[in-house]
Amino acid sequence: MIDTIAYGLTIGGILYIISIGLSLTFGTMRIVNFAHALVYTVGAYVLVASLSLFNGHFIAASVVAVLAVIPLAYLIERYVIRRLYGESIDYAIIATYAVLLIGVDAIKWIWGAIPIPLSDPVGKAWNILGVELPLYRIIIIALSICVFFILELFFKYTIVGKIVVAGLEDKEAVRSLGIKVDRYFSLVFVIGSCLAALGGVLYAPITTVHPYMGFQVLLLCFAVVLVGGLGSMRGTFLSAFALGMVMAVTGRFWGPAAETMVFVVMAIVLIFKPIEV
Amino acid sequence: MRNNFLEIVRKVDILFIGCAFLLLAPVLTVQRTNDFIIFCIFVLAYNLLYGFMGRLSFGHMLYFGVGAYASALTAEHLSANPFAAIAVALVAGAGTGILLGPITVRTTGACFALINLAFNQVGYFLALIALAKWTGGEDGMAAFFDNIWIFDLGNRYVVFGFSLLCLLLVVYIMKRLTSSSFGILLRTIKENETRAKFLGYNTFRYKLAAFVISTTLSAFAGALSIINYTYVTPSFIDTTRNVEVIFASLIGGSASIYGSLVGGISYMIISNYLPKYIQRWEMFLGVALLLLVFRFRSGLWGYISETVEKYALKGARE
Amino acid sequence: MLLSVERINVSYGRARVLSDVSIHVNEGEMVFIVGRNGAGKTTLLKTIAGFLSPEEGTIRFGSDKVNALGPEEMALKGVRYVFQDKRVFTKLTVRENIQLAAYAAGVSLSEAVDKIVQLYPPITRFLESKAGTLSGGQRQILLLGRALIGDPCLLLIDEPTEGLAAGIIEEVFKVLEMTRRKVSMLIVEQNLAVVRRLADRVYAMKEGHIVAEVNTPEDIQNQTLLEEFL
Repeated sequence: MIDTIAYGLTIGGILYIISIGLSLTFGTMRIVNFAHALVYTVGAYVLVASLSLFNGHFIAASVVAVLAVIPLAYLIERYVIRRLYGESIDYAIIATYAVLLIGVDAIKWIWGAIPIPLSDPVGKAWNILGVELPLYRIIIIALSICVFFILELFFKYTIVGKIVVAGLEDKEAVRSLGIKVDRYFSLVFVIGSCLAALGGVLYAPITTVHPYMGFQVLLLCFAVVLVGGLGSMRGTFLSAFALGMVMAVTGRFWGPAAETMVFVVMAIVLIFKPIEV
Repeated sequence: MRNNFLEIVRKVDILFIGCAFLLLAPVLTVQRTNDFIIFCIFVLAYNLLYGFMGRLSFGHMLYFGVGAYASALTAEHLSANPFAAIAVALVAGAGTGILLGPITVRTTGACFALINLAFNQVGYFLALIALAKWTGGEDGMAAFFDNIWIFDLGNRYVVFGFSLLCLLLVVYIMKRLTSSSFGILLRTIKENETRAKFLGYNTFRYKLAAFVISTTLSAFAGALSIINYTYVTPSFIDTTRNVEVIFASLIGGSASIYGSLVGGISYMIISNYLPKYIQRWEMFLGVALLLLVFRFRSGLWGYISETVEKYALKGARE
Repeated sequence: MLLSVERINVSYGRARVLSDVSIHVNEGEMVFIVGRNGAGKTTLLKTIAGFLSPEEGTIRFGSDKVNALGPEEMALKGVRYVFQDKRVFTKLTVRENIQLAAYAAGVSLSEAVDKIVQLYPPITRFLESKAGTLSGGQRQILLLGRALIGDPCLLLIDEPTEGLAAGIIEEVFKVLEMTRRKVSMLIVEQNLAVVRRLADRVYAMKEGHIVAEVNTPEDIQNQTLLEEFL
């Protein structure tokens, strides 16, 4: 029971961290970004590569992984996303999916298609209420809550954050003040991508690292974003943990059905709360 | 003069299409061409939603897979009559459409794409794991069909002829649909659904109808592919294969029946023959998709037909 | 001449919205545009502001041709667009709304807040409230104040008194009066009483065309003349 809850929170935390970027990109640019799965995957792979460079020092390797996707995110934003502004959303889906395909194939080329397992970087376990929980998972949960608070502070107290909040609500009005909102949205895109890479880094030891890992998680993130409300940071936070729990609880009773249940929940939510996109 | 010629061609185009495929058969082998034909049916079904109604589904393999599994299961448990299998597949496809339609059709854009994707994923899960007892799970299952009347389905020429007839039938249906008031209304919904509503149409009903037709025809293609392969595996319902039909629609140019056929054949040629020459052909596919989105919006067929029109206009002026 | 719009054509997709439109605004003037809904008044303002580009014709601001400039660049040049529907940033406080304008204009926040308080002292009560809690009239005044930060030369204002009660209209009127002469203004307005009290000149629009220019005080005060165009 306890470990199910813990697992649910862990998954929820990771889903949250990855989904932020997706939700923001959707809210600011009205673009469904399939390439988000790519930066997530690249984060995991750069982690693997850096681990061998840094002799297994996980934190250093993670930092490198998260920073390494910045140029990739910038390139995607500059040459693909920016051209999709104002376009029909279908083209955004297809184009970003194409980027994902290209990237995944590149990854297969460089690293091969064989899954790479990673071991728990912490290795220790804590005893919580009588159950042995891997410390690593507790760290993930704590980290995701930290990210949430950092983002809250960012959007509330920094000028950049306020511009983004205003821009999310009324982009034209911000522009008419003389602020080049698109630049700030690009920044947000890169931040969201770094968070996705962080998600990839965190999740890598729990699952295995393989070229198609992005595909699996992407769908779940879409569910999180759709259920939580596009562009809503708090909604994403809540729905990520809620769906994480759905996965954990379902997984307890019927393992493989965990992900499917998330989609069933998503469908039910969308029946009662359809979204205009 | 030229216009009359084009009109005549349009009337008998079914004949032309049939001949085109008959010509392809000896070039590419009968079995390959059969694959092409079945895929073209799927693209036509898909395009009803994407090209004519403007809704991108990212999960249409579900309906294809439903048809495939339905026909295989029919062969296994009900009757080895291929027509029975097709009938069941059609019902299954329509049923899935009626079941999922009311949910998905209310959404647009990204929501629509993603909901279909999610349902596809659920279907994949069902086929791979949940119903593995019946579907054979990862290994899939075989499906053997009896010979009925003149349809000796062990003979690949017969299967080819049968598929071709089915394709021509579907083309005919699509032609009638898209040139009817139903088709015009679909296009109005694509351009501006609010306007259609203002004109008094219950757009939901029409969208649902189009959706169900699309899923049914997709299931039809799925059933035909099982008759062709006599074997079904979860790859027939695999979510990552959705990009195939999307790519075909884009290459062909979406709101056009000829475009669907051109797109279907083009994609099949690319996926069948390119991997022999280019190892990283998925990367190539991605790059080609980007080019299509950014440069060639109306696809190959669109590009060709626009160029032809330009020449026709020039000719008329001179 | 501060602003000169010469024979522009503007289309939304395939629909032609403005045809052969020419207007001008001199320094210090308060020019109004009247016309029925759908006449193209908002489109005209948006085009001048840089949200739309004319297919033909020229827009000149000062001595520069500004057809291709976007809203950010126009704002920095001193042209501020005030939207219809009282669109403030509802999730930010009033002070934060001002903060964004101050940041963009390179003005200190305290200076900007002072300016707005001078314009409308009651706003001090609301500085820390979310802008979404303000009434329609208060929002409009906030928008006007926000647009004045950084000392712009030209304000493009879209229907400032729409949906406001008579008393509030008076408040907005006072703000507009106070800014007169310091800032040139081009205002779309359907409330003819306001037009008559403030206008130096009036343009009338119908179906994407300018159908009249009223530039004598007598004509402006002529009730029937202006009502014809609504």
